[in-house]
Amino acid sequence: MADLTTKICGVTLKNPVIGASGTVGFGREYDEIYDISLLGGISTKGLTLEPRRGNPVPRIAEGTSVILNAVGLQNPGVEKFIANDLPWLKTKGLAVVANVAGRTVEEYRDICERLDGLVDIIELNISCPNVKSGGMAFGIRPESIAAVTRAAKSGLRRTPLMVKLSPNVESIPVNARAAEGAGADCISLVNTFTGMAIDIERRRPIIANNTGGVSGAGIKPIAVRMVYEAAHAVGIPVVGMGGIQTAEDAIEFLMAGAVAVQVGTANFTDACAMPKIIAGLNEWCDAHGVKAVSELVGTLRMN
Amino acid sequence: MREVEGVVLSNCAVAAGIYEMRLLVPDASDVRPGQFLNLSSGEGELLLRRPLGIARHSEDCVTVCYQVKGRGTKALSCRVPGDRLSMLMPLGNGFYVKDSERRIALVGGGVGVFPLLSVAEAYRDREVSAYLGFRNRAAICYEEEFRAVSRLTIGTDDGSVGEKKNAVELFLADYEREKPDVILSCGPPVMLRALKRAIAERGIQAPCYVSLEERMGCGIGACLVCVCDLTNGEHARVCKDGPIFEIGEVEL
Ligand SMILES: Cc1cc2nc3c(=O)[nH]c(=O)nc-3n(C[C@H](O)[C@H](O)[C@H](O)COP(=O)(O)OP(=O)(O)OC[C@H]3O[C@@H](n4cnc5c(N)ncnc54)[C@H](O)[C@@H]3O)c2cc1C
Ligand SMILES: Cc1cc2nc3c(=O)[nH]c(=O)nc-3n(C[C@H](O)[C@H](O)[C@H](O)COP(=O)(O)O)c2cc1C
Ligand code: FES
Repeated sequence: MADLTTKICGVTLKNPVIGASGTVGFGREYDEIYDISLLGGISTKGLTLEPRRGNPVPRIAEGTSVILNAVGLQNPGVEKFIANDLPWLKTKGLAVVANVAGRTVEEYRDICERLDGLVDIIELNISCPNVKSGGMAFGIRPESIAAVTRAAKSGLRRTPLMVKLSPNVESIPVNARAAEGAGADCISLVNTFTGMAIDIERRRPIIANNTGGVSGAGIKPIAVRMVYEAAHAVGIPVVGMGGIQTAEDAIEFLMAGAVAVQVGTANFTDACAMPKIIAGLNEWCDAHGVKAVSELVGTLRMN
Repeated sequence: MREVEGVVLSNCAVAAGIYEMRLLVPDASDVRPGQFLNLSSGEGELLLRRPLGIARHSEDCVTVCYQVKGRGTKALSCRVPGDRLSMLMPLGNGFYVKDSERRIALVGGGVGVFPLLSVAEAYRDREVSAYLGFRNRAAICYEEEFRAVSRLTIGTDDGSVGEKKNAVELFLADYEREKPDVILSCGPPVMLRALKRAIAERGIQAPCYVSLEERMGCGIGACLVCVCDLTNGEHARVCKDGPIFEIGEVEL
């Protein structure tokens, strides 16, 4: 049994595997399949101050080794989350990461203020490609990343802030440093890549929103490169994700410099993907004489 | 609902472009009629599973029938006995028939007929009338299975078998005589819309439940990919709150 615990800005996780935002809801459904308290944490569906309806359907399409989605931040609003879901999640003994979004810088501050002290980490979704206002608009330019990070931070006294970076940008290192400089306690990446899939019979995009966010196994090499770049650009912890399906995939991210990982699309391919990844991490460490998974972080040697 | 691995027992064409796959699973005794499973295609590069209605089940076996449409169902059609496919099952709410509902009308079109077989087989003690519409003679399947458990009326789009009527027209033609206590339906959206219109126009009072289809991600209610609009303005998840809805409750 290797030591799988990992620490992200003062929060201890029993293992480095976190359910990625938008793919695990608030945890209830997966808890019907396995006990989610064995996870390191879960990141909630993107929360907003008011309830949101999201985009019309179809909201999903499939490519080779990837999927595209445009759910568009459908959520019950932060108050309903606090009243109905958070108390239950708190009993599960895992790190609760609240993924939040806003239309304006002020909304980002307000929702952070509302959740301050109630959750373990707040993950700032400044990179959702599927909503027209806000979301990705904030996540592209370093200046706006700094502005929204500063605003969010001003609403927080107790809970650490994780800024989730978009991959649809010019420079990951520049944007990672912008978030760090504005007070982010840690960074997560990658969100989805903007893409399009076309129904050639109808000559129309399959997804009602026309474009969707690309995720899943096929994006992993790009995500690993970006996580490596981010981890080397900043001093704060980095949480990596993008296409992780197996323990070996997760280890690539750890070696590239991530202290923890998130798993999204793989949950759709196998509902028990995360428990299997956790078990696999343990086995790999044991087989390789690694006593603690934290020993792997950032151990990549370049050619 | 649970994550299980199934073993393909058989996988054969039963009509033009339609395959029947039987899978050995650890336990299928709790499957309700109208529930579905979310089945891996067995193709690693396809990350999404395919939602398929459970047509029949026994203690340790589930049968699905699928039309070959795109890459996933094409891949499924290549699976051979002994292959292992992971899946989530059983999913969704399923059809509920009250004890007082003695006369059941099943209205099914195309691949929508399969989940209805599970209803007819589950409620053998009722009077079940099945109205099934197919494209043509080659598309007809499960005729014997339905005949064994229901009073069956078949129609085809080209009139090659039975009357040249769709499932809704067959049902309406028989309605006054049969007067079912409950109507259960599954089929393409155009068919469900026609049924909804006819129920309103004819002032049919019997409750009617329909099974919806929507593209899915997780299949268990977590990702909000598969929503449909309810007439009260709310959203519902087809995979978890459905796939069966009261016909007046959903926008079709
Ligand atoms: C609850 C439910 C029960 C179903 N039961 C049956 C059944 O018993 N028999 C049958 O033949 N078909 C059934 N379908 C439809 C079946 O899921 C699709 O035909 C199938 O997913 C198409 O996959 P593909 O790879 O051939 O097509 P592709 O176009 O390659 O699929 C691409 C993506 O779109 C999804 N998709 C495409 N069409 C549909 C659709 N109509 N509904 C949902 N997702 C779709 C696929 O699942 C996949 O994720 C059911 C659908 C639902 C939601
Ligand atoms: C259906 C779906 C919904 C998502 N919703 C959100 C969201 O609300 N907020 C967010 O920050 N990321 C969201 N994401 C992005 C994931 O959290 C993750 O960044 C991305 O999918 C890459 O990881 P993966 O390849 O493991 O899926 C969503 C992804 C999917 C597939
Ligand atoms: S498919 Fe995920 S909520 Fe229905």
